[in-house]
Amino acid sequence: MQLDSLPSIRKVGKSGIQYFFKYPANLSQSPHVYTSEMSQIEQKIIRKAAAGDRTAFRQLVLEHSHSMFRLAWRLSGDENAAEDIVQEAFIKAWRKLDEFRMDASFKSWLHRITVNTAMDYLRKHVRRRQFETAEPEWERMDLAGELPDTGTQIDIGRQTRTAMLDLSEAERTALLLKHYEGHSIEEVARIMDISTGACKQNIFRAVKKMRVALRPLVAT
Amino acid sequence: MKMITDEDLTLLYYGEHEDPALAATVAESAELSARYEALCAELKLADAYQPPLRDDDYGAQVWQRISPRLAGEKSSSGSRVTNWLTTLAQPRFSLAGALSIALVAALAFTLGRNGGPEPNNKPVTPSGLAGSTVVAIDSSRLLNHSVSAHLEQVNILLTQFVNTSETSSGETGHVTDLLVANRLYRQAAVVEGNQKLAAFLGDLEPLLIELAYQAQSGSTASRERMQQEVKNGLLFRVRVMNQQLNKSEISV
Repeated sequence: MQLDSLPSIRKVGKSGIQYFFKYPANLSQSPHVYTSEMSQIEQKIIRKAAAGDRTAFRQLVLEHSHSMFRLAWRLSGDENAAEDIVQEAFIKAWRKLDEFRMDASFKSWLHRITVNTAMDYLRKHVRRRQFETAEPEWERMDLAGELPDTGTQIDIGRQTRTAMLDLSEAERTALLLKHYEGHSIEEVARIMDISTGACKQNIFRAVKKMRVALRPLVAT
Repeated sequence: MKMITDEDLTLLYYGEHEDPALAATVAESAELSARYEALCAELKLADAYQPPLRDDDYGAQVWQRISPRLAGEKSSSGSRVTNWLTTLAQPRFSLAGALSIALVAALAFTLGRNGGPEPNNKPVTPSGLAGSTVVAIDSSRLLNHSVSAHLEQVNILLTQFVNTSETSSGETGHVTDLLVANRLYRQAAVVEGNQKLAAFLGDLEPLLIELAYQAQSGSTASRERMQQEVKNGLLFRVRVMNQQLNKSEISV
């Protein structure tokens, strides 16, 4: 049977969320697929920056700031912390640029620095969980119970954030790098400096916990 | 047949399962399809964990914040003297830098007046410059370079000030450092006999005092008024003076 001929399945849940279920025909177009190939232009810029060229490093900062902020925010759950983490991570990257191997992915390298910086930052600072304060009563309801009538108004983002920040550091980091940043499991393992097996286990545990937390939000 | 676990389905979802036939197996089984579908739906919700948006120029903002710190963090390909001077001019070193410059300037001035040999006995060097004159020129160049780096810091501070509506956490300390450094550079300029530079730094001082006060306890209204004043002229003057100092450094 040709995989491409498999039908896509579409489902509309009670919550009105639509999603598509397609088999591998679209896996290759998935946002999770990540290429570690680095353009020659970027290599040139990195070499210049590693030699102390600030203008070249500025280009790298302009290129990667948004991506690093997204990762830092997802790791910390706090906007101000994420801003600080991004800046510290770039300073560290500047210091260590000459250690970067050109055959590696620069994005992965930066992400590794960002993850380490975020972990240091979070250990030093009390993590602020703004969402824990002033929550409306209905949002504190047991998610395993029935959803309120205003289910469609539930802030899914907030619930997801709560679930995400309830994961352990390793689980959250592994899931973020895999799910949102699209790194391969091998890359995630390298970034986190753990074995591929340990990385997979972290992702499995994280996915399991997230599914339990988010399941009530998916209409059956 | 091997049992298909949720872990297998997770790997399939992320396109990382080793068995290329797994997708077909899942597709052919109603039970597996339902499980996979549930997994997709639940993980799809995780996409709602989205960070707040940054401005398009966020990268430029990050650069503006980190660039003053970079020179002190790594040796560039420039000369050692230039690196040392640049490092000295960074915020955390600005006071020490200004003190050093003031000391060198004072020393050069003293040597120039009292320290040299009698004019009649003075040997003429090949370049035609006496030892004390060389010291004086070096101190002048040192002063220009350092004040230029100082004005670069002031320029960054003022640019940040006119573009942000709130005081940042490190602003107060930074302004105070720049204020003290500014005074020392002004005194060094007086000792050097550079009246124009001394006058300019003198003009800058009240603004830095007001900025330091503003950073600690100023109101939004006074901040806006100051932002307007800075935009209307002082920022431009700082940049022009900085350019002139750079040019004079080249001409030396």
